[in-house]
Amino acid sequence: MAPTYNIAMVSDFFFPQPGGVESHIYQLSSKLMDRGHKVIIITHAYDGRTGVRYLTNGLKVYHVPFLVIYRSTTFPTVFSFFPMFRNIVLRERIDIVHGHASLSNLCHEAILHARTMGLRTVFTDHSLFGFADAASILTNKLLKFSLSDVDHVICVSHTCKENTVLRASLDPLMVSVIPNAVVAENFKPPDASELSSNSFGQNPPPARPLGPHDTITIVVISRLFYNKGTDLLTAAIPRILENHPNTRFIIAGSGPKAIDLEQMIEQNVLQDRVEMLGSIRHEEVRDVMVRGHIYLHPSLTEAFGTVIVEAASCGLYVVCTQVGGIPEVLPSHMTVFAKPEEDDLVAATGKAIAALRANKVRTELFHEQVKSMYSWTNVALRTERVYNGISGAISEAEFYGYDASNPATWSATRGRSGVQSFALIDRLKRYYGCGIWAGKLFCLCVIVDYLIFLLLELWFPRDKIDICPDWPRKPRNERRESGVR
Amino acid sequence: MAPPSGLHHSALPSGSLNTSSTAVNGTRDHPILARSATAPTTLKPHRPDPSHLAPEDAFVSASPPRRPALFDGGNGSGNETRPRRIRRKEASRSRSRRRKRFQKLLWVKQSYPDNYTDQATFLENLQRNPRVQPYDFWPLVADSTVIMQHVCSVIIFVVCFVGIFQERVSPVSVVGWGSFATFVGWLLWDWWVGQETQEAGAVDGNIRAGPRDFRQPRRQDSEVALPGFNPSTTSVSSTSNMASAASSSTNLVHENYRSQRSIPNGYDTANGGNLLMPGHAPSRSVSSVHSATSQTSLPKADGYGYGDGAYWDGPPSRWGRAKLRLGTIKSAILIYFTLLGLSPILKSLTRSTSSDSIWAMSFWLLAINIFFFDYSGSGGVRKFPVASLSTNAALMASTVLASRLPSTGQVFSLTLFSIEVFGLFPVFRQYARHRSWRYHVGLTVLLVLGAGGGVGMILGDKDEQRGLPWKNGLIGMVVGCLISAVAMGGCSWWLIGLQKYKNEIYGPWDPARPIIISRRHWDDE
Repeated sequence: MAPTYNIAMVSDFFFPQPGGVESHIYQLSSKLMDRGHKVIIITHAYDGRTGVRYLTNGLKVYHVPFLVIYRSTTFPTVFSFFPMFRNIVLRERIDIVHGHASLSNLCHEAILHARTMGLRTVFTDHSLFGFADAASILTNKLLKFSLSDVDHVICVSHTCKENTVLRASLDPLMVSVIPNAVVAENFKPPDASELSSNSFGQNPPPARPLGPHDTITIVVISRLFYNKGTDLLTAAIPRILENHPNTRFIIAGSGPKAIDLEQMIEQNVLQDRVEMLGSIRHEEVRDVMVRGHIYLHPSLTEAFGTVIVEAASCGLYVVCTQVGGIPEVLPSHMTVFAKPEEDDLVAATGKAIAALRANKVRTELFHEQVKSMYSWTNVALRTERVYNGISGAISEAEFYGYDASNPATWSATRGRSGVQSFALIDRLKRYYGCGIWAGKLFCLCVIVDYLIFLLLELWFPRDKIDICPDWPRKPRNERRESGVR
Repeated sequence: MAPPSGLHHSALPSGSLNTSSTAVNGTRDHPILARSATAPTTLKPHRPDPSHLAPEDAFVSASPPRRPALFDGGNGSGNETRPRRIRRKEASRSRSRRRKRFQKLLWVKQSYPDNYTDQATFLENLQRNPRVQPYDFWPLVADSTVIMQHVCSVIIFVVCFVGIFQERVSPVSVVGWGSFATFVGWLLWDWWVGQETQEAGAVDGNIRAGPRDFRQPRRQDSEVALPGFNPSTTSVSSTSNMASAASSSTNLVHENYRSQRSIPNGYDTANGGNLLMPGHAPSRSVSSVHSATSQTSLPKADGYGYGDGAYWDGPPSRWGRAKLRLGTIKSAILIYFTLLGLSPILKSLTRSTSSDSIWAMSFWLLAINIFFFDYSGSGGVRKFPVASLSTNAALMASTVLASRLPSTGQVFSLTLFSIEVFGLFPVFRQYARHRSWRYHVGLTVLLVLGAGGGVGMILGDKDEQRGLPWKNGLIGMVVGCLISAVAMGGCSWWLIGLQKYKNEIYGPWDPARPIIISRRHWDDE
């Protein structure tokens, strides 16, 4: 019987704000609770949402009052979160602190304080960063600071792992790749009643052959920003429509580049072939997707690209640019890859249209395939292995996969991957290596943090803090475990 | 400021990679950890080192020579397919083996733990310094002359102020010589413009025949970058703290160039001289075709915006140029009298402020002028705020400095002189550089000598001046030349020396740069 843990997910980004990180945290938390763990979520207070909230499944959310500066990121104060964080952690008897998203200041602070308090920490990175511009350099330095003493890092794709390893100078073995998943039930292809055909409940579902003159609908759902490749889209749409009669576009999403798209539509008089829906809610995404046959994703950078998995789950053939982690996400029979070039995107879309017209692509099978590839249960299981590894339930040798009998093979990383020691001096050693000046500054921060911790122990003694009664935990379903590694 | 000596052996800055020193050593010490070590035979459940990566390997595998053929310098993301496809085929072949090969894919159920790091594929697409262009020494020195020129002209201005303030130099002689130089410069400039319009007029016919074909060369031209003018007109005239005299004086310069900046502006300027300026057809006809982009991509031939004269007549007319000269003289006279009228007001502007604050303030303003000056010489609309900030700072510095002076004549002289130095002279310098490299070098030498000599004379003892007035000046010139040579050479050498710390990292995580052929909406960001 594997142990169960009390886990605190910490991130600036959570509901009611919509987004990928938010739903990742929610889905992962609820699946972990299904597996018998206790999970709470700590985020900052949103408008009209303060204090403690309970979500479905008894998921408890702490909305901590904090100054929000930019796009719901809190102001980095390094220490000010500590008293409240300590209180929550002690109340909830937390063992593992799991931070999300590298732009979230709350998460970095929580990791620092958690290590000071002697807790295990995990960090999940959801995004890619470059190394060139000033903003990235600053973010990378801060990431290095908080990840100097983290126990394990989870990345959503292999590209993301490479990126994070370089940015934070981590040992690659303490970085796991656990992808996002989709709730396949929410992204079903149009069923029989929606298609108004008489085939009913067949397994596998019947193919939907396309006639040579049927209209093929290409769906684009993305925020219309520069890095989502809207410029490519704007350039490619008129050419695609010109090359292929009987095609039309549905574009959902809003953003600063929407005006370019509208201008393109008017210049080329494509009002009847390009439909712009504006921004849509996440619940409506599926309903828009099932109206199309091809999903076009022209993004310029993407860590994982959940939306293309959702599209494939809806039974759409996916045309996407080959950037970031996208090539790892879907098998080649579901996708046509394009370089981030106008010509190549047009050609790839043409290829996809031709393949659909020839009825070569079994899109009706996609849903089941995607369902077997990505599920949150699997993600939770794999995350649980990380928890087991860092808390010692799995032996270090097994978790990190080195030969314990031959320490010479692993001397270089022992300092990093064997992050077992909470001794202040060991932690300082790890921070000191961060850079000539930064190392000393980071050490100073850690020492101050430790002093604050001692002060808090005196000021608010542990035994004076109430222990919060737990919800009855779900019994652990061992049967489910056997199927997956 | 010297680089930390501990990093000499490493090409990596300590900032980006924690274990960089071990990494570089690791390259030499552990050749075993190369890619070939991933043979499937070693894949046992708890295998010893070779199938797992040590952290060094992040950097070892990062070294560019490993797969040079794949890096075409452009975007790395396009290159990913090939190795991956090959691997996939290999994977299908080795299915008989006990364990499948690791694949960098997320949808496959892999028989490896999540934190497994595959030596063969980890960081395979990383590129380091793919687009680095090494600097050469002499071109760098040559480029630094532009900065030297500007610093020297600022020094000359300060020297003149000190001279006037200490009553060593008569303000009338300063402004007299300054105006004389400006007049000579204007004549020269006028002559150059005349020459160039004739040349351009000769080309004119060809361009008229095919304005469409002109489009491509224009783009190239604008990339090669040639001095247009920093269009600081509007903001100069909008500065609240400047006397209106100063702004109208810059208009004297700018009215000639304004037409270049934007088509609508060029058309509705009420200034007669503007419309009648000598010019050639192409700039107008072309820019009216591509009015959206023309502001930034005007060809160098009409970099000074005398192009809109073609509004009435294609080839330059003698009548137009005479009219232009007349207009210039008219504005000059206007500025002269406005300044004369404003001088008494300027004199008492900062009477309630102590001198110390004025010195500090003018120091910072001149520093702003030097740091924000548009040295590139390709004055486009984009540089607009920065360039005008520089000019405004300088004119404000001169205003506050002038307000320290006791008499109206001195104030008038210094303000007029500052307008000549900061408003008109940069234009002339840019144009001289554009005209001929020889003029540029000559001007630089002249400025360095002038600045050095001036500083020498100012620093020399006041009483001694009666005896050997030029001795200090000569010493100053020699020292000035030495300092400038050391500064230009030393800084260039230093910059080249710093290049070895350059460590740009590119990989699939970087946002791809989209290639769009019909660049209608695409602005190079």
